[in-house]
Amino acid sequence: MWGKGLVAGLKVTWGHWFGKKETVYYPEERLPMTERFRGGHLVLDDKKCIACKLCAMGCPNAALDLTVSVDEDKKRHMDSYKHQIGRCMYCDLCIEACPVKALSWDKNYEGSSYFKEDMTYDAVVEAKNRRGSNE
Amino acid sequence: MAQTEKYVLNMGPQHPSTHGVLQVQVELDGENIVGAKPIMGYLHRGIEKLMESRTYTQCVPYTDRLDYVSAMNNNLGFCMAVEKLASIEVPRRAEYIRVICAELNRIASHHVFIGSLTNDLGSATGMIYAFRDREKILDLFNIICGARMTAHYIRIGGVAADAQEEFLKGAQEFVNYVPAMLDEYDRIFTGNEIFQARMKGTSIITRETALKYSMSGPNIRASGVDYDIRKIDKYGAYGDFDFEIPLGEQGDNWDRYIVRLKEVQQSANIIQQALDNMPDGPVMAKVPKVLKPPKGDAYHRVENTRGELGFYIVSDGSTKPYRVHIRRPSFVNLQALDSMCQGMLLADAVTAFATIDPLMGEVDC
Repeated sequence: MWGKGLVAGLKVTWGHWFGKKETVYYPEERLPMTERFRGGHLVLDDKKCIACKLCAMGCPNAALDLTVSVDEDKKRHMDSYKHQIGRCMYCDLCIEACPVKALSWDKNYEGSSYFKEDMTYDAVVEAKNRRGSNE
Repeated sequence: MAQTEKYVLNMGPQHPSTHGVLQVQVELDGENIVGAKPIMGYLHRGIEKLMESRTYTQCVPYTDRLDYVSAMNNNLGFCMAVEKLASIEVPRRAEYIRVICAELNRIASHHVFIGSLTNDLGSATGMIYAFRDREKILDLFNIICGARMTAHYIRIGGVAADAQEEFLKGAQEFVNYVPAMLDEYDRIFTGNEIFQARMKGTSIITRETALKYSMSGPNIRASGVDYDIRKIDKYGAYGDFDFEIPLGEQGDNWDRYIVRLKEVQQSANIIQQALDNMPDGPVMAKVPKVLKPPKGDAYHRVENTRGELGFYIVSDGSTKPYRVHIRRPSFVNLQALDSMCQGMLLADAVTAFATIDPLMGEVDC
């Protein structure tokens, strides 16, 4: 009989109308991010960082712009760590390249911004701000 | 008597049914299609050229951006080609995890096919159902690699990290859910009379035409050609699994839809076998930090969701590939669009675009 399939389809949708909801009310309710989630800003542990620049060398798309200085004891310091979000592919190669595990993601998935300038940030400045707010 | 003449209608690159930025110049005689000419290049990023200036390891994330709804299969194709070039032996456990991920991604990609097809035929409900189930797979990818679409999980020599218990449990739950999911699809769209009337007997690709255009993937199998690289080459761990290749009969839109539905079932079957027989051990081979494959070339092909995906890599012995060529299935399959559309009505062109399932990231590369 023509129309039998249409009725069967409608039954499915009516079943879901009264069934469990599949979505959440964003932004009031947020889904947790996973342990391996790649996204947001890079969190630099500037106490651990040895300024070897391996992360920048590992980056396929030159999204990292680093400035390193050497002090009188020949110790290397990371002066600035510019991460250009617009160039970043979130491939994780920088984090995997780090020999001292000083890098991680902040797991923020709300990455959009109104201005292009906000798409570049300095991870060293963010690390200092974080320390300042903790102390 | 009124004088009539043929005219050209541009569909796309911003038409919602062209799935991305495909432009099709449709030549019409009234409402009947005389010819359909695909015009591409709107999403060309020069990935093949970009790869020449990246190291082998750095090339892998670019393959995610080819066929971006089945990134795992692209990763797999490129990594296996490099492994062939550099003679790297992949651990058994990594091979199994690769198969699970590739097959999950195949199902997710077929969800996009089902969703966009039903949406193009005027049933927005269908899209919601398919995407709801696709979300379950993307959540699993988020667990295993931290990304939902641009996975970059399969690496040269194995996989990025071992599969967690949470992922394996989730994959098992999804496989258990597949029969109920397919049953729901059958009740909601496959049995729908309007859907059937739009699909059956339209845009037929005969066996000969499919072979002539060197089509591959579900599109050629819908025309009745038994051609699946997973069975022919048995690459990776595919030789260990027992599965069937669903075939169509006459190669119309309906067959192309049914073949993909059956493929979902077969992929679930493969994942179940891989989960049951998962070996222990490492997931990464010993790959030098600076990979320098010997001089020479290698071609490796895998069964991507859309057909035969091949990577041809030429090495000059340095850290970067000298030349990479990608054989993209969507690009080759798109040749058949003209013969599929000829003699059909304009409304059927939309169905033809949907069932040929081109992905512009891959077509333009």
